[in-house]
Amino acid sequence: MTNTATKTTIEYDDTPVRQFMIASIAWGIVGMLVGVLIATQLAFFQLNFNTPWLTFGRLRPLHTNAVIFAFVGNMMFAGVYYSTQRLVKARTASKFLSQLHFWGWQAIILAAAVTLPLGLTRGKEYAELIWPINIAVALIWVVFGINFFWTLGRRNERSLYVAIWFYISTIITVAMLYIVNHLSIPTSLTHSYPIFGGVQDALVQWWYGHNAVAFFLTTPILGIMYYFLPKAAGRPVYSYRLSVVHFWSLVFLYIWAGPHHLLNTSLPRWLQSLGMIFSLMLWAPSWGGMLNGLLTLRGAWDKLRTDPVIKFFVAGVTFYGMSTFEGPLLSIRPVNALAHYSDWIIAHVHAGALGWNGFMAAGMFYWLAPRLWNRPLHSVAAANMHFWLGLVGILLYVSSMWVSGITQGLMLSATHENGTVLANPNFLDAVTSTMFLMHIRALGGFMFLAGFIILAWNIWKTASGAQAVNGTVEVFVEEKPKAMGLIGGFANAPVIFITLLIVFAMGWGALPRVASGICLWAFLGTFMAMIAHKEFTKATWGQWYERLLENALPFTVLTAVSVFIGGIVQIIPTVIIDTAENIEGVRQIPYTPLELAGRDIYVREGCYNCHSQQIRTLVGDVLRYGDYSKMGESIYDHPYQWGSKRTGPDLAREGSKYPNSWHFFHMRDPRQISPGSRMPNYPWLFTDQTDIASLRRKIEVQRKLGVPFKETTKDEIAASCLAQGEEIVANLKTASAETTPDREIVALISYLQKLGKSEKVGPHGEQPAEPAKTEPPKTAAK
Amino acid sequence: MFHRILVEEWQRVLTTISFGIFLVTFGIIALRTWRMPRESIRRLENLPLENDTNDHE
Repeated sequence: MTNTATKTTIEYDDTPVRQFMIASIAWGIVGMLVGVLIATQLAFFQLNFNTPWLTFGRLRPLHTNAVIFAFVGNMMFAGVYYSTQRLVKARTASKFLSQLHFWGWQAIILAAAVTLPLGLTRGKEYAELIWPINIAVALIWVVFGINFFWTLGRRNERSLYVAIWFYISTIITVAMLYIVNHLSIPTSLTHSYPIFGGVQDALVQWWYGHNAVAFFLTTPILGIMYYFLPKAAGRPVYSYRLSVVHFWSLVFLYIWAGPHHLLNTSLPRWLQSLGMIFSLMLWAPSWGGMLNGLLTLRGAWDKLRTDPVIKFFVAGVTFYGMSTFEGPLLSIRPVNALAHYSDWIIAHVHAGALGWNGFMAAGMFYWLAPRLWNRPLHSVAAANMHFWLGLVGILLYVSSMWVSGITQGLMLSATHENGTVLANPNFLDAVTSTMFLMHIRALGGFMFLAGFIILAWNIWKTASGAQAVNGTVEVFVEEKPKAMGLIGGFANAPVIFITLLIVFAMGWGALPRVASGICLWAFLGTFMAMIAHKEFTKATWGQWYERLLENALPFTVLTAVSVFIGGIVQIIPTVIIDTAENIEGVRQIPYTPLELAGRDIYVREGCYNCHSQQIRTLVGDVLRYGDYSKMGESIYDHPYQWGSKRTGPDLAREGSKYPNSWHFFHMRDPRQISPGSRMPNYPWLFTDQTDIASLRRKIEVQRKLGVPFKETTKDEIAASCLAQGEEIVANLKTASAETTPDREIVALISYLQKLGKSEKVGPHGEQPAEPAKTEPPKTAAK
Repeated sequence: MFHRILVEEWQRVLTTISFGIFLVTFGIIALRTWRMPRESIRRLENLPLENDTNDHE
C-alpha cells in the first residue's frame, strides 16, 4: 500500500474567536450589571424608578437572556471555533458564514436588549424573545451548524475527539428544543401566542428550559473543558474512556429530566416520576465528568498556585460538581417541596452560571488572549485578584440564597394544629425575614461583576497595540477513506438486530395477551438469529462502532436518536392527549376580551417572574391558597403562567379574593396595602390606554388554538370591553378609586379577578354539572 | 382522568423500567468503551496536545 499523504500548512481562522470572546466579555458585563441591579431592587424597591422599562419584571428576562445567550453563547462559540479547527486540523470552512454567524448573533442580542425592557415578550422563561427574533435565532443557529459540519467534512484528522461529540450534541439538541418550544402563531409583528397551552405548555417549556441548561450551558462547556483543560495542564485527559461514558450517559439521560421543574404540580405523576428518576441517574455521569476534569491535573497540582487559568478551571469544574450534585438533590420530590419557588433554586442556578460557566469562561479567556494576540497576559496579579473577588462573590451569593431559600421554604410550609393551620399566614413575613440576605446577595453579585471588569481591563491591556495572530500548523493530508454515509451507518446487522429486539421487547410489555406472546417469541427468534448471524459471518460488531466514531454524519444521527427518545416519550403523549377529556372534572372558564387584554398586560410586565399560578399538592400550599390546581384550570392559557419563583404569593385563585379597589391601590403603591412588600409601583397602568384594537386578531388566533371564544366583530369586542370596564370603574368609585374604563389598570383588574374561575364538568368534559365554584383559602392567609 | 388515578398504577413499574433503560444503555456504552483499543485511546487523548504556532509563543 502506498502512502499518498502530502504535507501542507494550514492557517486557522481565529478572527471569529477574537470577536466572540470580546462580545462575550462585553455582553457578560451588561448581563451581570443588570443582574446586580435587579438583585438590589429586591432589597430596595425604589430602584425600579417607577419606570416601565426599569422594573424587575421586565429586566429579569433581560438578565437571564443576556447571561445565557449573550455571555455564555458568545463564549461557547469562541471556544468551539478555536478548538474545532485544531482538533480536526482544518480551517473553518467558510469565513463568510463565520462572520454572518457573529454579526447575526450580535444583532439578535441587541434586538433582545431593546425589546425585553419594552415589554415585548412571549412570557416564557428563557424563551421570552418575540417571534421575529426567534426566527433569526433559528436561522443563525443553522448557519453555525452548516459551518461546523462543513468544517468537519474538510477535516484532516480522521477521528472525532470527544469535545467534538459534545459540540455535535449541542447543535442538534438546541435546534430541536428551540424550535419546538417557540412554535407560535403571530397576532402582530411583535406578539404571538404559543401553540401549546396550560399543562402542555408547562411540559414543553421545561423540557426546553431544563435542556437549555443541559445543552447550551453544559455540553458545549464540557467540550471546552475536554479541550482546554488538558491544554492548560499540559497532559491528556485523565481517562478518555470515562469521557466517552460521560458523553453517552449525559446525552441520553439529560433530555428526560425536564419535568423535575414541575414536581407536585398538576403535571401527570408519571412524568414527574420520570423527571425525578432520570435526574437522580444524572449524578453518575456528571460526577464522572467532574472527576475526569479534576484528575486531569494529576501531577500538575503545583500549577494551581501559580497559574490563574488552572485556578479558574479547577474552581469551575468544582462548581460543576457542586451544581450537578445539588440538581438531582433538588429533583427529589420532598426536597423540591421545600426548595421550589424559593431562593434555593436561585442559589443553585447561580452556582452553575457564575461558578461553572463564569469561571470556565474566565479560564478560557485568560488562556486564549496571549495566544490570539501573541503577547503574555498583561497582569497575572490582576487575574488572581479577579479569581478571589469572583470566588468570594459566588460564595456570598450562593450561601445567602441557600439560607434565604430554606427559610422561605420552611416558613411558608410550616403549620400548627396537626397541619390544619398555617404557622405564618402572612406571606410577607417570609419576604421581610430574608431581607438582609438580599443585601448580601447583591454584594456577592457586585463582587463577581467587579472581577469581570478586571478581566475586561486585563485582556484589553493585553490586546491593545498587539498584533492579532492566527495559528498555523503543518499537517499531512491523507486520502480520505470511504465514508460510511447514512445508509452504510444504519443499514447493517447491529442496528437492524438491536432495533428489532427493542421493538419486540416493547410489544411484549405493552400489547394485549396474544400479540404480547407473539412479540415474546419474535424477540427470542431475533435473538437466536442474531447469535447465528454472528457465528456464521464471524462479524465483529465493534468495528461498526469504531467506524461510526470517524464518520460525523451517522454519528450525529445516533446522537440525535439518543436525545429524541426522551423527548418523544415525554412530549408526544401529553401533546396528543385530548385535553378536553383529561381535565380532572374542572375546566377553566375562558376569558372575556377585556380579561384577555389584562392577561397580556400581566405577561408584558413579567408578573410570572415573582408570582406563580399553580397551587401544589402540598399542605402548605393548599392551606394558604385553596384546593390544589387541576390540569383543566389552565388549559386555555397560552402561554401558561405557572411561574417558577414566588417572591410574591401564588395567584392561581386570586379572583374574587379581594375587592377591585384592593388591586387598584395595590398596583399604584403595593406598600399602601401590604407594608414591607418589594413589588414595584405601576403608575403607567393608570395613564396608559388598553390596546383594544389588537384584540380581534388575538381572539382569532386563540380560536385557532382551540380556546372557545365566540366569533365576534371588532365593534362587539369594543362594546364588551367597555361594558365590563364601566362595571369595574363604577365598583371602584364606591371605594374612592377614580379611573376610566379604557385604562390598563381596569383590564388588569378584570384579569386578576378572573384567576381561578372554573366550572365543574363530567369525566369526559361534558357541560357543567353544577354552577361554577371557586374554593376560598381555608385560612386568612395573605 | 389519566392523572393521579389510572397513572398511579404505573408508579411501581415505572421506576424499574427507567432503571432498565439506563442500565442497558450504560452497559452497552461501558462495554464498548472498555473494549476500545489502547493505541486508539492514546491517539485520541493526545489530540488536544498537538500544538500549533500559537502554542509556541
